[in-house]
Amino acid sequence: MQLKFTVNGRPRNLEVDADKRLLDILREDLGLTGTKEGCAEGECGACTILLDGAAVHSCLTVAAQLQGREVITIEGLEQAGELDTLQRAFVEETAIQCGYCTTGMIMSAKALLNENPHPTESEIRTALAGNICRCSGYTQIIRAVQRSANELEV
Amino acid sequence: MIVGTSKPIHDAVAKATGRAVYAGDMVLPGMLHAAVLFSAIPHGIVTAIDTGKAMEVPGVHAVLHCFNTTDRLFNRYRFVKGMQVVDQECIFNKQVRYIGDRVACVVADTPGAAREAARLIDVTYEELPFTTDMGEAMAGKIDMIHPDGAVYGDFNVEIGDREKVARDAVETTTSSHLSRISHLAMEPHACVAAYDRDLGELTIWSPNQSVFGIRTSIGDLFELHYDRVRVIKTTMGGSFGSKQEWMLEPVAAAASMATGRPVRLVYSRGDTMVSTISRSPMDMTVTSKVTREGKLQSLDFDVTLDAGAYLGNSFDYACAPASKIFRCYSYPFAHYRARAVCTNSPVSGAFRGWSTPEIYIGIEHNLNMTARSIGMDPLEFRLMNVALPGDMDLRVGQPLGEIRTRECILLGRKSFGWDQRKAENEAFNRANPRYRRGIGIGCGGHVNGYFPRARDFAGVEMRMTESGSVIVGITLHDHGCGTVTAFKMMVAEAMELSMDEVNVREGDTAYTPFDVGCYASRTTYVLGRAAVDCAEKLKQRLREGIARLHDVDADSLEVTGGAIRSRNGGDLHYTYAQAAVAFINTLQIEPWVKHQFVNATNPGVTGSHFAHVEVDTYTGMVRILDYLAVHDIGQAINRGMCIAQIQGAVIMGSGAALSEHMHVNPQSGKPVSSLKDYHLLNAPLLPHIRVELVEDGGTEGPYGAKSIGEVCHVPVAPTIVGAVNDALGSDMCALPLYPDRIMELLAERRRSACN
Repeated sequence: MQLKFTVNGRPRNLEVDADKRLLDILREDLGLTGTKEGCAEGECGACTILLDGAAVHSCLTVAAQLQGREVITIEGLEQAGELDTLQRAFVEETAIQCGYCTTGMIMSAKALLNENPHPTESEIRTALAGNICRCSGYTQIIRAVQRSANELEV
Repeated sequence: MIVGTSKPIHDAVAKATGRAVYAGDMVLPGMLHAAVLFSAIPHGIVTAIDTGKAMEVPGVHAVLHCFNTTDRLFNRYRFVKGMQVVDQECIFNKQVRYIGDRVACVVADTPGAAREAARLIDVTYEELPFTTDMGEAMAGKIDMIHPDGAVYGDFNVEIGDREKVARDAVETTTSSHLSRISHLAMEPHACVAAYDRDLGELTIWSPNQSVFGIRTSIGDLFELHYDRVRVIKTTMGGSFGSKQEWMLEPVAAAASMATGRPVRLVYSRGDTMVSTISRSPMDMTVTSKVTREGKLQSLDFDVTLDAGAYLGNSFDYACAPASKIFRCYSYPFAHYRARAVCTNSPVSGAFRGWSTPEIYIGIEHNLNMTARSIGMDPLEFRLMNVALPGDMDLRVGQPLGEIRTRECILLGRKSFGWDQRKAENEAFNRANPRYRRGIGIGCGGHVNGYFPRARDFAGVEMRMTESGSVIVGITLHDHGCGTVTAFKMMVAEAMELSMDEVNVREGDTAYTPFDVGCYASRTTYVLGRAAVDCAEKLKQRLREGIARLHDVDADSLEVTGGAIRSRNGGDLHYTYAQAAVAFINTLQIEPWVKHQFVNATNPGVTGSHFAHVEVDTYTGMVRILDYLAVHDIGQAINRGMCIAQIQGAVIMGSGAALSEHMHVNPQSGKPVSSLKDYHLLNAPLLPHIRVELVEDGGTEGPYGAKSIGEVCHVPVAPTIVGAVNDALGSDMCALPLYPDRIMELLAERRRSACN
């Protein structure tokens, strides 16, 4: 199919199979390898991206669902070389270890803050329920999201 | 001071932006993709392979299988040449021994074409009897699985002095059963291999724990001199032991050598769960003897470990606990027996802690039941029996040094509110028919390197650049827990530089010094000490060089504040940069040193954990209300990362205690291969995990440090299990304690009450 959609603010026009996963389109066709495959069945959250602002598993989204829509990946968060507040908070709060869950985790947190700029800890935990981190105890991740929320408030 | 502060890991920004390159992200010119076909049956012989349809798929370059690839045997676990291991598996196996065994692989232009073609390979099998049950395997049902049968052992050792055991000691026997669990490193296994036909050189990029170990295995498999095999450690998306054995590298190497093109091999989550390694199931019986006052006299162990289809490391893994059982408690005698049994199940392998978390599940459960039987508080019972400074590890005859378990327990008792919670739980449980609350304490001791076993040495090279910065050549394997940053911190501290002025390399067999790899929690303790000593040597080299340049006595100079200067008011002053330039331009020598350190100590390193849980007797669900981990760490190097790592271990161990179980269907031999059927604890299910560190800095490690990454996983499962058993007054230790098991216990109690 001829797929016209927007990725990180840039219009894209691709010839792809209608059942090609968004995850593969991003990684193989567009070279955006920041989005990771952890399980390919929507259980781990490593492949999370924003689709029209909502956190979505790119492993469970196919080309046919993307026509005319807007995708933001981790590569789309940095603005003019400046890290997004979430990215900076994840770095500085030592919320990153092996990093394989990080990009998906940040995208889920991004969707949360877009929708709910003042989340409670419990709301953060719920928003990240679909993102598995095997290295940490989530403490630093939650702290990073809280810190971003506070910074956005200022 | 830099050491002891909290710093982000070195590649945190690259990981936050998605720019960090993992093996599965790599693209090389002309690169092809491999997909492996795994055995569909649990045990049998491949009699024929028809690749006709697979080769017709557009973009397919080659199909490799057991009839066209070397049948040389290897052992996935061998990480040093000369290690005593049993070689049992081929790159592609003619005798397939479990559902998930490697049968063939397709090399194609795209991953999709490779996978599609792999599905079209037609394999004819002759089926053999199979079992996933250790008892049936021990009874001889699958003796044909390997030329030397299915059972390895018994390993049988007595440690200490049997005569010192009190004659009238109280005996308590408990049993524990551990399930197969998956490491679930978030990055599934992947690697890239590129064979240069003209130079006869093979390069492998992989996230792994021993670049030199892979070099020897690959060199032997393909009959290459080791200098022709270059292994480069890539960004690692977690390991927890799963990336210290070689399952993919031989396949990618064979594929690249067959096609002459770079080949990338990426396993799916299912492939990784089933066809790499997992933590072995174990049956353990532990018998303790204690005096009526509660003094531990002896421990007797009988351990049977399910190795899965290939022995791999399993015999060593079954024996290893004998070296861990005198690293936390002091008692005069132990008897340890173990065996490893092959079954037609996924292959067992190394898991964070290398048998220590497993054996402490058995020990701690026994101690809890023993304390209960003699009417003692489990915390008091431990206080009476933990090893103290001056005590020996009887297994190896070495002192445990500044072991601080007692301090950890005392600190935890206060910080956790042990005595108060105990009283509160009693009141809560009296008032609540549905929910039962309990508390648990668990301890455990681990190692910092191999010593007194051999191979515990490390080499480091340091170069001072003409801008005054330092390049450290050392074979690190950062799992993502911040090893590189910890080394930058230690070297910066020693050199009085900022961390930005220290560049630390990871393992690359072409350029970094030999090292056996990241095993036995040796990196910070052994390699870290080597790095700090090497920095001192570099400072001395600088001092000697400048002294020679000015024809003064080297002792009249000192290296301080990042400069070489006169000691007693003289005016000699060289910054590092000026010194490096002088070395090159005048002394005609690079400011370079190499240092090799041989480790000769291994102090006790322990943790004491505390959990408060609530069991819902209507559903069997367990909720962790509070958790405190106290660690005897010597000195935290990167404090924030130590804490984050400990918290991660608590979740991992809690999963092992409560929910994680990689089931293998006994009727079909089919293992669980999906996260949908494997239950991890996630963010909403967890409390904030509190961490306290006991730091006395009194070790031979760098800045007084001890190990942390594995020992923090040791006490977790026993602590949770102890708390659940406290809540229910039960003696369960068949893990995980998932709701079905708890409901079964409660139903059984109701039945007994009715009869």
